[in-house]
Amino acid sequence: MDILIQNIITGVATGMVYALIALGFALIWKSSRVANLALGQLVLISSWFTYSMLVQFKFPFWLGMILTIAFAILLGWLIERLALRPLIGQPILSLIAITLGLAYFLEGFTAFIWPQGQGNLPKVFPQTSIQIGPAMIQQELLWAAVISLILFILLSVFFKYHRMGIAMRATADDQLAVQACAVPVNRVFSMSWIFACVVAAIGGVLISSIAAINYGLVETGFKSFSVVILGGMESFLGCIVAGPIIGLCETFGGSQFGSSIKEVIPFIIIVIVIMIKPFGLFGEERIERI
Amino acid sequence: MLKLNNIEVSYLNVVKVLHGISITVENGVVVALLGANGAGKTTTLKAISGLLRIEEGEINDGTIEWDGIRIDKKNAVDIGKLGIVQALEGRRVFEHLNAEENLLVGAFSRSNLKDVKADLNMVYSYFPRLESLKHNIAGYLSGGEQQMLVIGRAMMAAPRLMMLDEPSLGLAPMVVDQIYDIIKRFNMDRKTAILLVEQNVRVALNTAHYGYVMENGRVVLDGSADYLKGREDVKEFYMGISASGEKKSYKDVKHYKRRKRWL
Ligand SMILES: Nc1ncnc2c1ncn2[C@@H]1O[C@H](COP(=O)(O)OP(=O)(O)OP(=O)(O)O)[C@@H](O)[C@H]1O
Ligand SMILES: [Mg+2]
Repeated sequence: MDILIQNIITGVATGMVYALIALGFALIWKSSRVANLALGQLVLISSWFTYSMLVQFKFPFWLGMILTIAFAILLGWLIERLALRPLIGQPILSLIAITLGLAYFLEGFTAFIWPQGQGNLPKVFPQTSIQIGPAMIQQELLWAAVISLILFILLSVFFKYHRMGIAMRATADDQLAVQACAVPVNRVFSMSWIFACVVAAIGGVLISSIAAINYGLVETGFKSFSVVILGGMESFLGCIVAGPIIGLCETFGGSQFGSSIKEVIPFIIIVIVIMIKPFGLFGEERIERI
Repeated sequence: MLKLNNIEVSYLNVVKVLHGISITVENGVVVALLGANGAGKTTTLKAISGLLRIEEGEINDGTIEWDGIRIDKKNAVDIGKLGIVQALEGRRVFEHLNAEENLLVGAFSRSNLKDVKADLNMVYSYFPRLESLKHNIAGYLSGGEQQMLVIGRAMMAAPRLMMLDEPSLGLAPMVVDQIYDIIKRFNMDRKTAILLVEQNVRVALNTAHYGYVMENGRVVLDGSADYLKGREDVKEFYMGISASGEKKSYKDVKHYKRRKRWL
Protein backbone atom coordinates (compact mmCIF):
# COMPACT_ATOMS: atom_id res chain seq x y z
CA MET A 1 0.00 0.00 0.00
CA ASP A 2 2.67 2.53 0.96
CA ILE A 3 4.71 1.40 -2.06
CA LEU A 4 1.70 2.16 -4.22
CA ILE A 5 1.23 5.65 -2.82
CA GLN A 6 4.94 6.24 -2.98
CA ASN A 7 4.99 5.25 -6.64
CA ILE A 8 2.05 7.48 -7.41
CA ILE A 9 3.55 10.52 -5.79
CA THR A 10 6.98 9.92 -7.27
CA GLY A 11 5.48 9.35 -10.72
CA VAL A 12 3.36 12.47 -10.58
CA ALA A 13 6.21 14.63 -9.33
CA THR A 14 8.69 13.35 -11.92
CA GLY A 15 6.06 13.84 -14.57
CA MET A 16 5.62 17.45 -13.49
CA VAL A 17 9.25 18.10 -14.37
CA TYR A 18 8.75 16.49 -17.79
CA ALA A 19 5.74 18.75 -18.11
CA LEU A 20 7.84 21.80 -17.33
CA ILE A 21 10.32 20.92 -20.06
CA ALA A 22 7.45 20.14 -22.41
CA LEU A 23 6.22 23.70 -21.89
CA GLY A 24 9.33 24.71 -23.83
CA PHE A 25 7.86 22.94 -26.83
CA ALA A 26 4.30 24.16 -26.36
CA LEU A 27 5.45 27.77 -26.00
CA ILE A 28 7.04 27.80 -29.43
CA TRP A 29 4.34 25.78 -31.10
CA LYS A 30 1.74 28.14 -29.64
CA SER A 31 3.15 31.23 -31.30
CA SER A 32 4.83 30.00 -34.46
CA ARG A 33 3.82 26.41 -35.21
CA VAL A 34 7.48 25.46 -35.22
CA ALA A 35 8.44 22.12 -33.62
CA ASN A 36 11.26 22.67 -31.17
CA LEU A 37 13.16 19.40 -31.44
CA ALA A 38 16.07 20.67 -29.37
CA LEU A 39 14.26 20.40 -26.02
CA GLY A 40 16.63 17.93 -24.35
CA GLN A 41 19.69 19.71 -25.68
CA LEU A 42 18.49 23.03 -24.31
CA VAL A 43 18.10 21.36 -20.93
CA LEU A 44 21.55 19.81 -21.26
CA ILE A 45 23.43 22.97 -22.16
CA SER A 46 21.81 25.12 -19.50
CA SER A 47 22.47 22.46 -16.84
CA TRP A 48 26.13 22.46 -17.78
CA PHE A 49 26.18 26.22 -17.69
CA THR A 50 24.75 26.13 -14.17
CA TYR A 51 27.41 23.55 -13.30
CA SER A 52 30.14 25.94 -14.42
CA MET A 53 28.67 28.78 -12.41
CA LEU A 54 28.07 26.87 -9.19
CA VAL A 55 30.78 24.20 -9.18
CA GLN A 56 33.63 25.52 -11.30
CA PHE A 57 33.38 29.23 -10.47
CA LYS A 58 31.84 28.57 -7.05
CA PHE A 59 29.38 31.44 -7.30
CA PRO A 60 26.71 31.63 -4.61
CA PHE A 61 23.50 29.89 -5.55
CA TRP A 62 21.40 33.01 -6.13
CA LEU A 63 24.02 34.53 -8.43
CA GLY A 64 24.40 31.25 -10.30
CA MET A 65 20.63 31.20 -10.89
CA ILE A 66 20.52 34.77 -12.13
CA LEU A 67 23.37 34.05 -14.51
CA THR A 68 21.71 30.85 -15.72
CA ILE A 69 18.49 32.71 -16.49
CA ALA A 70 20.49 35.42 -18.24
CA PHE A 71 22.28 32.72 -20.23
CA ALA A 72 18.94 31.16 -21.21
CA ILE A 73 17.57 34.52 -22.34
CA LEU A 74 20.64 35.15 -24.45
CA LEU A 75 20.52 31.63 -25.86
CA GLY A 76 16.86 31.97 -26.84
CA TRP A 77 17.48 35.31 -28.42
CA LEU A 78 20.46 34.02 -30.39
CA ILE A 79 18.66 30.90 -31.59
CA GLU A 80 15.74 32.89 -32.94
CA ARG A 81 17.99 35.51 -34.46
CA LEU A 82 20.55 33.26 -36.10
CA ALA A 83 18.71 30.02 -36.82
CA LEU A 84 14.99 30.71 -37.14
CA ARG A 85 14.60 34.26 -38.40
CA PRO A 86 16.32 33.69 -41.75
CA LEU A 87 13.73 30.99 -42.38
CA ILE A 88 10.56 32.99 -41.72
CA GLY A 89 7.98 32.07 -44.32
CA GLN A 90 9.85 28.95 -45.44
CA PRO A 91 8.14 25.57 -45.63
CA ILE A 92 7.51 23.77 -42.36
CA LEU A 93 10.02 21.05 -43.26
CA SER A 94 12.92 23.52 -43.29
CA LEU A 95 11.86 24.74 -39.87
CA ILE A 96 11.84 21.21 -38.51
CA ALA A 97 15.21 20.53 -40.09
CA ILE A 98 16.66 23.64 -38.51
CA THR A 99 15.60 22.78 -34.97
CA LEU A 100 16.90 19.26 -35.46
CA GLY A 101 20.19 20.73 -36.67
CA LEU A 102 20.14 23.01 -33.66
CA ALA A 103 19.74 19.97 -31.40
CA TYR A 104 22.87 18.33 -32.82
CA PHE A 105 24.78 21.57 -32.77
CA LEU A 106 23.99 22.19 -29.10
CA GLU A 107 24.89 18.62 -28.19
CA GLY A 108 28.23 18.85 -29.97
CA PHE A 109 28.92 22.27 -28.54
CA THR A 110 28.19 21.01 -25.03
CA ALA A 111 30.51 18.02 -25.48
CA PHE A 112 33.21 20.41 -26.66
CA ILE A 113 32.96 22.86 -23.76
CA TRP A 114 32.17 20.33 -21.02
CA PRO A 115 33.98 17.16 -22.15
CA GLN A 116 33.65 15.47 -18.75
CA GLY A 117 30.23 14.06 -19.74
CA GLN A 118 29.07 13.67 -16.16
CA GLY A 119 28.63 16.19 -13.41
CA ASN A 120 26.72 16.91 -10.24
CA LEU A 121 25.09 20.11 -9.14
CA PRO A 122 25.04 20.99 -5.47
CA LYS A 123 21.77 19.88 -3.90
CA VAL A 124 19.28 22.69 -4.05
CA PHE A 125 16.52 21.23 -1.92
CA PRO A 126 16.57 19.52 1.48
CA GLN A 127 17.48 15.85 1.18
CA THR A 128 15.29 14.52 3.96
CA SER A 129 12.27 12.50 2.98
CA ILE A 130 8.90 13.50 4.29
CA GLN A 131 6.03 11.37 5.37
CA ILE A 132 2.82 11.65 3.42
CA GLY A 133 0.29 9.29 4.93
CA PRO A 134 2.00 5.92 5.01
CA ALA A 135 4.53 6.80 2.28
CA MET A 136 8.01 8.30 2.45
CA ILE A 137 8.61 10.80 -0.32
CA GLN A 138 11.80 12.48 -1.44
CA GLN A 139 11.22 16.10 -0.60
CA GLU A 140 13.15 17.48 -3.55
CA LEU A 141 10.74 15.86 -6.01
CA LEU A 142 7.86 17.70 -4.40
CA TRP A 143 9.70 20.98 -4.60
CA ALA A 144 10.37 20.42 -8.26
CA ALA A 145 6.70 19.63 -8.85
CA VAL A 146 5.61 22.80 -7.06
CA ILE A 147 7.99 24.97 -9.07
CA SER A 148 6.73 23.40 -12.30
CA LEU A 149 3.18 24.10 -11.24
CA ILE A 150 3.95 27.74 -10.45
CA LEU A 151 5.60 28.25 -13.84
CA PHE A 152 2.66 26.60 -15.53
CA ILE A 153 0.25 28.99 -13.82
CA LEU A 154 2.36 32.05 -14.63
CA LEU A 155 2.66 31.12 -18.30
CA SER A 156 -1.02 30.25 -18.59
CA VAL A 157 -2.05 33.60 -17.13
CA PHE A 158 0.40 35.43 -19.37
CA PHE A 159 -0.90 33.78 -22.53
CA LYS A 160 -4.53 34.15 -21.54
CA TYR A 161 -4.57 37.75 -20.39
CA HIS A 162 -1.43 39.65 -21.29
CA ARG A 163 -1.52 41.74 -24.43
CA MET A 164 1.70 40.16 -25.69
CA GLY A 165 0.52 36.66 -24.79
CA ILE A 166 -2.70 37.12 -26.75
CA ALA A 167 -0.75 38.54 -29.68
CA MET A 168 1.59 35.54 -29.57
CA ARG A 169 -1.35 33.15 -29.90
CA ALA A 170 -2.77 35.28 -32.70
CA THR A 171 0.54 35.07 -34.53
CA ALA A 172 0.22 31.31 -34.72
CA ASP A 173 -3.15 31.72 -36.43
CA ASP A 174 -2.27 34.32 -39.04
CA GLN A 175 1.16 35.85 -39.41
CA LEU A 176 0.07 38.42 -41.98
CA ALA A 177 -3.08 39.58 -40.23
CA VAL A 178 -1.19 40.03 -37.00
CA GLN A 179 1.23 42.38 -38.73
CA ALA A 180 -1.72 44.33 -40.04
CA CYS A 181 -2.47 44.89 -36.33
CA ALA A 182 1.04 46.32 -35.84
CA VAL A 183 2.26 43.30 -33.88
CA PRO A 184 6.01 42.91 -34.40
CA VAL A 185 6.26 39.22 -35.29
CA ASN A 186 10.02 39.18 -34.91
CA ARG A 187 9.60 40.13 -31.28
CA VAL A 188 6.90 37.48 -30.87
CA PHE A 189 9.19 34.73 -32.15
CA SER A 190 12.11 36.04 -30.17
CA MET A 191 10.04 36.07 -26.97
CA SER A 192 8.77 32.56 -27.51
CA TRP A 193 12.32 31.17 -27.86
CA ILE A 194 13.47 33.15 -24.85
CA PHE A 195 10.60 31.75 -22.78
CA ALA A 196 11.30 28.24 -24.02
CA CYS A 197 14.97 28.46 -23.12
CA VAL A 198 14.25 29.87 -19.67
CA VAL A 199 11.75 27.10 -18.98
CA ALA A 200 14.25 24.50 -20.21
CA ALA A 201 16.95 25.99 -18.00
CA ILE A 202 14.77 25.88 -14.89
CA GLY A 203 13.74 22.33 -15.70
CA GLY A 204 17.39 21.47 -16.23
CA VAL A 205 18.45 22.82 -12.85
CA LEU A 206 15.61 20.96 -11.11
CA ILE A 207 16.39 17.61 -12.72
CA SER A 208 20.14 17.89 -12.55
CA SER A 209 20.16 18.83 -8.91
CA ILE A 210 18.03 15.78 -8.16
CA ALA A 211 19.83 13.34 -10.45
CA ALA A 212 23.01 14.23 -12.35
CA ILE A 213 24.07 16.05 -15.47
CA ASN A 214 24.71 13.66 -18.34
CA TYR A 215 23.35 12.73 -21.73
CA GLY A 216 20.35 11.22 -20.03
CA LEU A 217 18.99 14.77 -20.11
CA VAL A 218 18.56 14.43 -23.86
CA GLU A 219 16.38 11.40 -23.20
CA THR A 220 14.39 13.45 -20.74
CA GLY A 221 13.79 15.73 -23.70
CA PHE A 222 12.37 12.79 -25.64
CA LYS A 223 10.03 12.00 -22.79
CA SER A 224 8.85 15.57 -22.90
CA PHE A 225 8.02 15.10 -26.58
CA SER A 226 5.72 12.29 -25.62
CA VAL A 227 4.15 14.61 -23.05
CA VAL A 228 3.59 17.21 -25.74
CA ILE A 229 2.05 14.78 -28.20
CA LEU A 230 -0.17 13.30 -25.54
CA GLY A 231 -1.21 16.68 -24.17
CA GLY A 232 -1.80 18.29 -27.54
CA MET A 233 1.10 20.34 -28.94
CA GLU A 234 0.26 23.89 -27.86
CA SER A 235 -1.70 23.28 -24.70
CA PHE A 236 -0.07 24.17 -21.39
CA LEU A 237 -2.85 22.35 -19.60
CA GLY A 238 -2.13 19.36 -21.82
CA CYS A 239 1.51 19.41 -20.66
CA ILE A 240 0.64 19.59 -17.02
CA VAL A 241 -1.86 16.73 -17.28
CA ALA A 242 0.09 14.54 -19.69
CA GLY A 243 3.36 14.98 -17.79
CA PRO A 244 2.17 13.14 -14.67
CA ILE A 245 0.50 10.49 -16.84
CA ILE A 246 3.82 9.75 -18.51
CA GLY A 247 5.56 9.91 -15.13
CA LEU A 248 3.11 7.42 -13.65
CA CYS A 249 3.44 5.05 -16.60
CA GLU A 250 7.13 5.14 -16.10
CA THR A 251 7.29 4.46 -12.37
CA PHE A 252 4.62 1.77 -12.53
CA GLY A 253 6.07 0.27 -15.68
CA GLY A 254 9.42 0.21 -13.94
CA SER A 255 8.16 -1.52 -10.82
CA GLN A 256 5.90 -3.97 -12.68
CA PHE A 257 7.85 -4.93 -15.77
CA GLY A 258 11.43 -3.91 -15.01
CA SER A 259 13.28 -0.94 -16.34
CA SER A 260 13.89 -2.20 -19.86
CA ILE A 261 10.24 -2.01 -20.80
CA LYS A 262 9.47 1.09 -18.78
CA GLU A 263 10.87 3.40 -21.44
CA VAL A 264 8.50 2.03 -24.06
CA ILE A 265 5.29 2.35 -22.08
CA PRO A 266 4.76 6.09 -22.61
CA PHE A 267 4.98 5.58 -26.35
CA ILE A 268 2.43 2.78 -26.32
CA ILE A 269 0.06 5.05 -24.41
CA ILE A 270 0.62 7.80 -26.94
CA VAL A 271 -0.18 5.59 -29.90
CA ILE A 272 -3.44 4.58 -28.26
CA VAL A 273 -4.43 8.13 -27.31
CA ILE A 274 -3.60 9.55 -30.70
CA MET A 275 -5.82 6.95 -32.33
CA ILE A 276 -8.71 8.12 -30.20
CA LYS A 277 -7.90 11.83 -29.98
CA PRO A 278 -5.69 12.91 -32.87
CA PHE A 279 -5.09 16.39 -31.44
CA GLY A 280 -4.01 15.05 -28.07
CA LEU A 281 -5.90 15.38 -24.81
CA PHE A 282 -6.21 19.17 -24.84
CA GLY A 283 -4.99 20.16 -28.28
CA GLU A 284 -6.73 22.77 -30.37
CA GLU A 285 -8.75 21.18 -33.06
CA ARG A 286 -8.22 22.34 -36.55
CA ILE A 287 -11.14 24.58 -37.33
CA GLU A 288 -12.91 23.50 -40.46
CA ARG A 289 -16.18 25.19 -41.19
CA ILE A 290 -18.44 23.96 -43.90
CA MET B 1 -3.97 63.19 -45.47
CA LEU B 2 -2.70 60.29 -47.54
CA LYS B 3 -1.09 60.91 -50.89
CA LEU B 4 0.18 58.32 -53.35
CA ASN B 5 2.27 59.74 -56.16
CA ASN B 6 2.86 57.52 -59.17
CA ILE B 7 3.38 54.34 -57.21
CA GLU B 8 4.85 51.43 -59.13
CA VAL B 9 4.87 48.00 -57.54
CA SER B 10 6.27 44.67 -58.59
CA TYR B 11 6.21 41.25 -56.95
CA LEU B 12 9.35 39.11 -56.72
CA ASN B 13 11.17 41.79 -58.71
CA VAL B 14 9.59 40.67 -61.96
CA VAL B 15 5.83 40.81 -62.02
CA LYS B 16 4.94 44.46 -62.36
CA VAL B 17 1.47 45.00 -60.97
CA LEU B 18 0.97 48.72 -60.41
CA HIS B 19 2.02 51.12 -63.15
CA GLY B 20 1.95 54.51 -61.50
CA ILE B 21 -0.98 54.90 -59.15
CA SER B 22 -1.86 58.33 -57.77
CA ILE B 23 -4.52 58.52 -55.10
CA THR B 24 -5.38 61.05 -52.45
CA VAL B 25 -7.40 60.42 -49.30
CA GLU B 26 -8.27 63.61 -47.46
CA ASN B 27 -8.76 63.55 -43.71
CA GLY B 28 -12.10 62.24 -42.61
CA VAL B 29 -13.26 61.26 -46.08
CA VAL B 30 -14.48 57.91 -47.41
CA VAL B 31 -12.78 56.96 -50.66
CA ALA B 32 -13.69 53.92 -52.74
CA LEU B 33 -11.20 52.02 -54.84
CA LEU B 34 -13.03 50.07 -57.51
CA GLY B 35 -12.03 47.74 -60.28
CA ALA B 36 -12.19 44.25 -61.67
CA ASN B 37 -10.40 41.22 -60.25
CA GLY B 38 -6.66 41.50 -60.50
CA ALA B 39 -6.71 45.25 -61.10
CA GLY B 40 -4.30 45.80 -58.22
CA LYS B 41 -6.60 47.14 -55.52
CA THR B 42 -5.32 44.89 -52.75
CA THR B 43 -1.77 45.54 -53.85
CA THR B 44 -2.39 49.28 -53.52
CA LEU B 45 -3.63 48.86 -49.94
CA LYS B 46 -0.65 46.67 -49.06
CA ALA B 47 1.73 49.22 -50.49
CA ILE B 48 0.22 51.80 -48.14
CA SER B 49 0.15 49.59 -45.04
CA GLY B 50 3.64 48.20 -45.54
CA LEU B 51 2.38 44.63 -45.75
CA LEU B 52 3.62 44.48 -49.33
CA ARG B 53 7.19 43.77 -48.36
CA ILE B 54 6.16 40.75 -46.31
CA GLU B 55 4.66 39.30 -49.48
CA GLU B 56 7.86 39.88 -51.45
CA GLY B 57 6.41 42.89 -53.21
CA GLU B 58 8.32 46.10 -53.66
CA ILE B 59 7.58 49.73 -54.41
CA ASN B 60 9.87 50.43 -57.34
CA ASP B 61 8.98 54.02 -57.91
CA GLY B 62 6.83 56.84 -56.58
CA THR B 63 6.13 58.09 -53.07
CA ILE B 64 3.53 57.63 -50.38
CA GLU B 65 3.03 60.51 -47.97
CA TRP B 66 1.03 60.53 -44.77
CA ASP B 67 0.60 64.01 -43.32
CA GLY B 68 3.60 65.07 -45.34
CA ILE B 69 5.86 62.26 -44.06
CA ARG B 70 7.22 59.67 -46.49
CA ILE B 71 6.02 56.24 -45.40
CA ASP B 72 6.85 54.12 -48.45
CA LYS B 73 10.08 52.88 -46.87
CA LYS B 74 8.62 52.17 -43.43
CA ASN B 75 7.62 48.74 -42.14
CA ALA B 76 4.11 47.60 -41.29
CA VAL B 77 4.48 48.05 -37.53
CA ASP B 78 5.67 51.65 -37.80
CA ILE B 79 2.98 52.51 -40.32
CA GLY B 80 0.40 50.98 -37.99
CA LYS B 81 1.64 53.17 -35.18
CA LEU B 82 1.13 56.24 -37.38
CA GLY B 83 -2.59 55.47 -37.39
CA ILE B 84 -3.05 53.53 -40.63
CA VAL B 85 -4.73 50.16 -40.36
CA GLN B 86 -5.65 47.64 -43.04
CA ALA B 87 -8.37 45.02 -42.64
CA LEU B 88 -7.32 42.21 -44.95
CA GLU B 89 -9.40 40.67 -47.68
CA GLY B 90 -11.21 37.47 -46.81
CA ARG B 91 -12.21 37.80 -43.12
CA ARG B 92 -8.92 36.78 -41.63
CA VAL B 93 -9.87 36.42 -37.98
CA PHE B 94 -7.57 34.73 -35.50
CA GLU B 95 -9.44 31.45 -35.57
CA HIS B 96 -8.45 29.98 -32.24
CA LEU B 97 -8.89 33.18 -30.25
CA ASN B 98 -12.25 34.25 -28.97
CA ALA B 99 -13.95 37.32 -30.38
CA GLU B 100 -12.86 39.69 -27.65
CA GLU B 101 -9.26 38.54 -27.86
CA ASN B 102 -9.38 39.22 -31.59
CA LEU B 103 -10.46 42.77 -30.86
CA LEU B 104 -7.73 43.23 -28.26
CA VAL B 105 -5.03 42.22 -30.74
CA GLY B 106 -6.29 45.09 -32.88
CA ALA B 107 -5.30 47.46 -30.08
CA PHE B 108 -1.86 45.91 -29.66
CA SER B 109 0.21 49.03 -30.21
CA ARG B 110 -1.84 51.22 -27.88
CA SER B 111 -0.62 51.68 -24.36
CA ASN B 112 -3.49 53.55 -22.72
CA LEU B 113 -5.58 50.67 -21.40
CA LYS B 114 -8.45 52.92 -20.37
CA ASP B 115 -8.87 54.15 -23.94
CA VAL B 116 -8.67 50.59 -25.20
CA LYS B 117 -11.42 49.56 -22.82
CA ALA B 118 -13.54 52.48 -23.96
CA ASP B 119 -13.02 51.57 -27.59
CA LEU B 120 -13.93 47.97 -26.88
CA ASN B 121 -17.27 49.23 -25.65
CA MET B 122 -17.51 51.47 -28.68
CA VAL B 123 -17.03 48.47 -31.00
CA TYR B 124 -19.68 46.58 -29.04
CA SER B 125 -22.05 49.50 -29.43
CA TYR B 126 -21.55 49.45 -33.20
CA PHE B 127 -21.77 45.65 -33.32
CA PRO B 128 -24.00 44.51 -30.43
CA ARG B 129 -23.85 41.03 -31.93
CA LEU B 130 -20.13 40.84 -31.17
CA GLU B 131 -20.69 41.60 -27.52
CA SER B 132 -22.93 38.59 -27.09
CA LEU B 133 -20.37 36.47 -28.94
CA LYS B 134 -17.29 37.81 -27.21
CA HIS B 135 -16.35 34.51 -25.57
CA ASN B 136 -16.94 32.45 -28.71
CA ILE B 137 -14.06 31.06 -30.74
CA ALA B 138 -13.70 33.28 -33.79
CA GLY B 139 -13.14 30.39 -36.20
CA TYR B 140 -16.68 29.19 -35.60
CA LEU B 141 -18.44 32.53 -36.10
CA SER B 142 -20.57 33.02 -39.20
CA GLY B 143 -19.15 34.84 -42.20
CA GLY B 144 -21.00 38.03 -41.37
CA GLU B 145 -19.91 37.91 -37.75
CA GLN B 146 -16.33 37.34 -38.80
CA GLN B 147 -16.47 40.35 -41.10
CA MET B 148 -17.84 42.46 -38.24
CA LEU B 149 -15.01 41.17 -36.09
CA VAL B 150 -12.38 42.10 -38.66
CA ILE B 151 -13.80 45.61 -38.99
CA GLY B 152 -14.10 45.92 -35.22
CA ARG B 153 -10.49 44.83 -34.88
CA ALA B 154 -9.44 47.58 -37.28
CA MET B 155 -11.48 50.09 -35.26
CA MET B 156 -9.64 49.00 -32.13
CA ALA B 157 -6.42 50.44 -33.48
CA ALA B 158 -8.06 53.91 -33.17
CA PRO B 159 -6.90 54.58 -36.72
CA ARG B 160 -6.94 57.86 -38.56
CA LEU B 161 -7.09 55.96 -41.81
CA MET B 162 -8.92 52.64 -41.98
CA MET B 163 -8.50 50.56 -45.12
CA LEU B 164 -11.11 47.88 -45.74
CA ASP B 165 -10.58 45.24 -48.40
CA GLU B 166 -13.87 43.94 -49.80
CA PRO B 167 -15.94 43.91 -46.62
CA SER B 168 -18.99 42.74 -48.58
CA LEU B 169 -17.32 39.62 -49.96
CA GLY B 170 -19.59 36.61 -49.71
CA LEU B 171 -22.18 38.24 -47.47
CA ALA B 172 -25.94 38.37 -47.83
CA PRO B 173 -27.26 41.75 -49.11
CA MET B 174 -28.89 42.54 -45.79
CA VAL B 175 -25.67 41.97 -43.86
CA VAL B 176 -23.78 44.08 -46.40
CA ASP B 177 -26.17 46.98 -45.85
CA GLN B 178 -25.88 46.59 -42.10
CA ILE B 179 -22.08 46.61 -42.19
CA TYR B 180 -21.93 49.59 -44.53
CA ASP B 181 -24.31 51.47 -42.30
CA ILE B 182 -21.87 51.00 -39.47
CA ILE B 183 -18.88 51.98 -41.59
CA LYS B 184 -20.67 55.18 -42.48
CA ARG B 185 -21.56 55.92 -38.88
CA PHE B 186 -18.04 55.23 -37.71
CA ASN B 187 -16.69 57.65 -40.30
CA MET B 188 -19.10 60.35 -39.18
CA ASP B 189 -18.67 59.80 -35.43
CA ARG B 190 -14.89 59.53 -35.36
CA LYS B 191 -13.89 61.47 -38.47
CA THR B 192 -11.75 58.51 -39.45
CA ALA B 193 -10.78 58.51 -43.12
CA ILE B 194 -11.70 55.28 -44.87
CA LEU B 195 -10.21 53.78 -48.00
CA LEU B 196 -12.56 51.16 -49.27
CA VAL B 197 -11.88 48.42 -51.81
CA GLU B 198 -15.06 46.96 -53.21
CA GLN B 199 -16.47 44.82 -55.99
CA ASN B 200 -19.92 45.84 -54.93
CA VAL B 201 -19.80 49.20 -56.67
CA ARG B 202 -23.33 50.25 -55.83
CA VAL B 203 -22.84 49.90 -52.09
CA ALA B 204 -19.38 51.41 -52.20
CA LEU B 205 -20.47 54.52 -54.07
CA ASN B 206 -23.43 55.00 -51.76
CA THR B 207 -21.01 55.15 -48.85
CA ALA B 208 -17.99 56.89 -50.32
CA HIS B 209 -17.54 60.57 -51.05
CA TYR B 210 -15.01 60.00 -53.77
CA GLY B 211 -13.95 57.08 -55.94
CA TYR B 212 -11.16 55.77 -58.11
CA VAL B 213 -11.57 53.12 -60.78
CA MET B 214 -8.58 50.90 -61.44
CA GLU B 215 -7.84 48.66 -64.34
CA ASN B 216 -4.70 46.62 -64.93
CA GLY B 217 -2.66 48.50 -62.39
CA ARG B 218 -3.71 51.96 -63.47
CA VAL B 219 -6.30 54.48 -62.32
CA VAL B 220 -8.53 54.93 -65.32
CA LEU B 221 -11.18 57.15 -63.82
CA ASP B 222 -11.84 59.12 -60.67
CA GLY B 223 -14.37 61.57 -59.37
CA SER B 224 -16.96 62.23 -56.71
CA ALA B 225 -19.21 59.32 -55.87
CA ASP B 226 -22.21 61.07 -57.40
CA TYR B 227 -20.30 61.76 -60.58
CA LEU B 228 -19.21 58.12 -60.89
CA LYS B 229 -22.69 56.84 -60.14
CA GLY B 230 -24.04 58.96 -62.94
CA ARG B 231 -21.63 57.77 -65.56
CA GLU B 232 -23.03 55.36 -68.11
CA ASP B 233 -19.80 53.38 -68.43
CA VAL B 234 -19.49 52.85 -64.68
CA LYS B 235 -23.11 51.77 -64.56
CA GLU B 236 -22.55 49.42 -67.43
CA PHE B 237 -19.28 47.80 -66.54
CA TYR B 238 -19.16 47.92 -62.77
CA MET B 239 -22.73 48.09 -61.60
CA GLY B 240 -24.07 45.69 -64.20
CA ILE B 241 -26.79 48.04 -65.38
CA SER B 242 -26.46 47.37 -69.08
CA ALA B 243 -28.63 47.02 -72.10
CA SER B 244 -26.32 44.54 -73.77
CA GLY B 245 -24.88 41.70 -71.72
CA GLU B 246 -21.71 41.74 -73.78
CA LYS B 247 -18.49 41.88 -71.83
CA LYS B 248 -16.09 44.60 -72.90
CA SER B 249 -13.09 46.13 -71.31
CA TYR B 250 -13.57 49.56 -69.90
CA LYS B 251 -10.72 50.66 -72.14
CA ASP B 252 -12.67 49.90 -75.29
CA VAL B 253 -15.09 52.74 -74.72
CA LYS B 254 -14.95 56.35 -73.68
CA HIS B 255 -11.27 56.68 -74.28
CA TYR B 256 -11.52 60.39 -74.61
CA LYS B 257 -12.93 61.40 -71.25
CA ARG B 258 -10.58 59.49 -68.99
CA ARG B 259 -8.04 61.32 -66.93
CA LYS B 260 -4.76 59.56 -67.47
CA ARG B 261 -3.27 60.09 -64.09
CA TRP B 262 -0.43 57.70 -64.71
CA LEU B 263 1.10 59.91 -67.37
N1 LIG C 1 2.14 37.94 -53.60
C1 LIG C 1 2.03 38.06 -54.93
N2 LIG C 1 3.00 37.60 -55.75
C2 LIG C 1 2.90 37.73 -57.09
N3 LIG C 1 1.88 38.30 -57.72
C3 LIG C 1 0.87 38.79 -56.98
C4 LIG C 1 0.89 38.70 -55.55
N4 LIG C 1 -0.23 39.27 -55.06
C5 LIG C 1 -0.92 39.69 -56.14
N5 LIG C 1 -0.27 39.42 -57.28
C6 LIG C 1 -0.74 39.76 -58.65
O1 LIG C 1 -0.96 41.14 -58.71
C7 LIG C 1 -2.11 41.43 -59.48
C8 LIG C 1 -3.04 42.31 -58.68
O2 LIG C 1 -3.49 41.62 -57.57
P1 LIG C 1 -4.38 42.26 -56.43
O3 LIG C 1 -4.58 41.24 -55.39
O4 LIG C 1 -3.81 43.54 -56.03
O5 LIG C 1 -5.74 42.49 -57.25
P2 LIG C 1 -7.15 42.97 -56.70
O6 LIG C 1 -7.51 44.17 -57.49
O7 LIG C 1 -7.16 43.10 -55.24
O8 LIG C 1 -8.07 41.76 -57.19
P3 LIG C 1 -9.33 41.09 -56.45
O9 LIG C 1 -10.51 41.97 -56.71
O10 LIG C 1 -9.48 39.80 -57.18
O11 LIG C 1 -9.02 40.94 -55.01
C9 LIG C 1 -2.73 40.09 -59.85
O12 LIG C 1 -2.41 39.85 -61.20
C10 LIG C 1 -2.04 39.10 -58.96
O13 LIG C 1 -1.86 37.89 -59.63
MG1 LIG D 1 -8.07 42.08 -53.73
